[in-house]
Amino acid sequence: MNFLYKIFFIFLLNATPLLADEASDWLKKEIDNILDAYKDTSVSKVDRFNLIEDSINNNFAGAGISKFVAGKSWFSASKETKKEYVKLFKRHLALNIASIMQGYSYQEYVLINSKYDEKNKVSMIDMEIHNDTGNLLVTWRVKKSKDRYFVIDLIVADISLVVTKRSEFNSKLKKVDQKLNELNVVLRSQNESSYSIITN
Amino acid sequence: MINIKSLLIILFTVFINFSVLSDEADKVTTTSSDFETTYNEDEIFDPIEPINRVIFGFNNVADKIILEPVAKGYRKLPSPIQSGINNFLSNLRAPLVVVNQLLQGQGKNAAETTGRFVVNTTAGVLGLVDVADKIGLEEKEEDYGQTLAIWGVGDGFYVVLPIFGPSNLRDSAGLFLTYSTDPFNAYAVREGEGWVVPLRTATNAVDKRSKIIAEVNALRNNSVDYYAAVRSSYYQNRKAAIQNIDDSELTPLPLISVEFE
Repeated sequence: MNFLYKIFFIFLLNATPLLADEASDWLKKEIDNILDAYKDTSVSKVDRFNLIEDSINNNFAGAGISKFVAGKSWFSASKETKKEYVKLFKRHLALNIASIMQGYSYQEYVLINSKYDEKNKVSMIDMEIHNDTGNLLVTWRVKKSKDRYFVIDLIVADISLVVTKRSEFNSKLKKVDQKLNELNVVLRSQNESSYSIITN
Repeated sequence: MINIKSLLIILFTVFINFSVLSDEADKVTTTSSDFETTYNEDEIFDPIEPINRVIFGFNNVADKIILEPVAKGYRKLPSPIQSGINNFLSNLRAPLVVVNQLLQGQGKNAAETTGRFVVNTTAGVLGLVDVADKIGLEEKEEDYGQTLAIWGVGDGFYVVLPIFGPSNLRDSAGLFLTYSTDPFNAYAVREGEGWVVPLRTATNAVDKRSKIIAEVNALRNNSVDYYAAVRSSYYQNRKAAIQNIDDSELTPLPLISVEFE
């Protein structure tokens, strides 16, 4: 009987619906996980990035963002190309977020405000990063799906990461006639370069 | 104590859970609505892109070898010195901010900025200390580019200015107006101390750059097209400044599906 409770508890952990006002608590825990990884000097840079990449892949809507960023080129791509692109984009996203968070690793932050957009079912959580000479506002956009939360965008000083990526990828895709497979080549090369910078 | 059989069943259950989740993540389906967006970021008018890219390349090198190292050195100064320089430069901009607030019909904001200027110049020791902020007079920035936009002047096309960086025709005109009407610049030139103008510009650039070292490096090291990323960032940032709206309300929400994550 005791064993059955344990099994039930495992399922319960996966299925427990989080309340909307808990989005900030959830986000704070995930941000702390990433920032703590930077502060732990006993972890190698490669292990640190792997840990952060896992966290970002679990908590960001990587596949959804990748589709949005690809824009119209998504329609004409084959299933294999799409799959490869999503995989590469998720790593690209992790490298971008890890690089941004690295800059904040030794700064104090506080989640100052949380708003819920009823129409779009999106929570917007403001994070204020403090340093000696001023504060920086970062807004996290969080959406709930299947009883858990996903980050769908990160806005740093009025600049949306997702919108910037879409514009950037669109510029690149225009040069290759919207061929996603050709973008994959560029993306793979960029990921290798970014990975080398963040792990060395 | 849990026995081996129980442990295997728990591991199997957890494995199945993760397998289902990871399998779901690979199932990429899409509908046409996923690509609908009201945001016209993809439509930035950039007819002189090849020239802009050359100037951007030059600016990028200048940033790497001059501005960024100087900004990093500046960050090592004691924070009261950095804050003092920032406050002083900000206070020097205040008269033109007031002019632009008036031109935009922001009477209340103009009165507050005037109050800030008076308080900071006197009690704040020539603007070195932001006393006004402590008594509730919050800093607000307005420039000629924003004023022209409020008056209905369009962006024109995107242009990268040597040294000054990303801009557009309207904001470049605004920048020219700023330099030609700034009372402190005019006073310095009239007194035969014209060297103060480039020194002020350079100090301002270093101060601003020092606040975004991590962000610029993150963008530069991780972009498939750094030029396009900076162009987009510039337009988003200016749009927010012109509309004076808060970050979380700024960009229309991209329609991102999370159903298959």
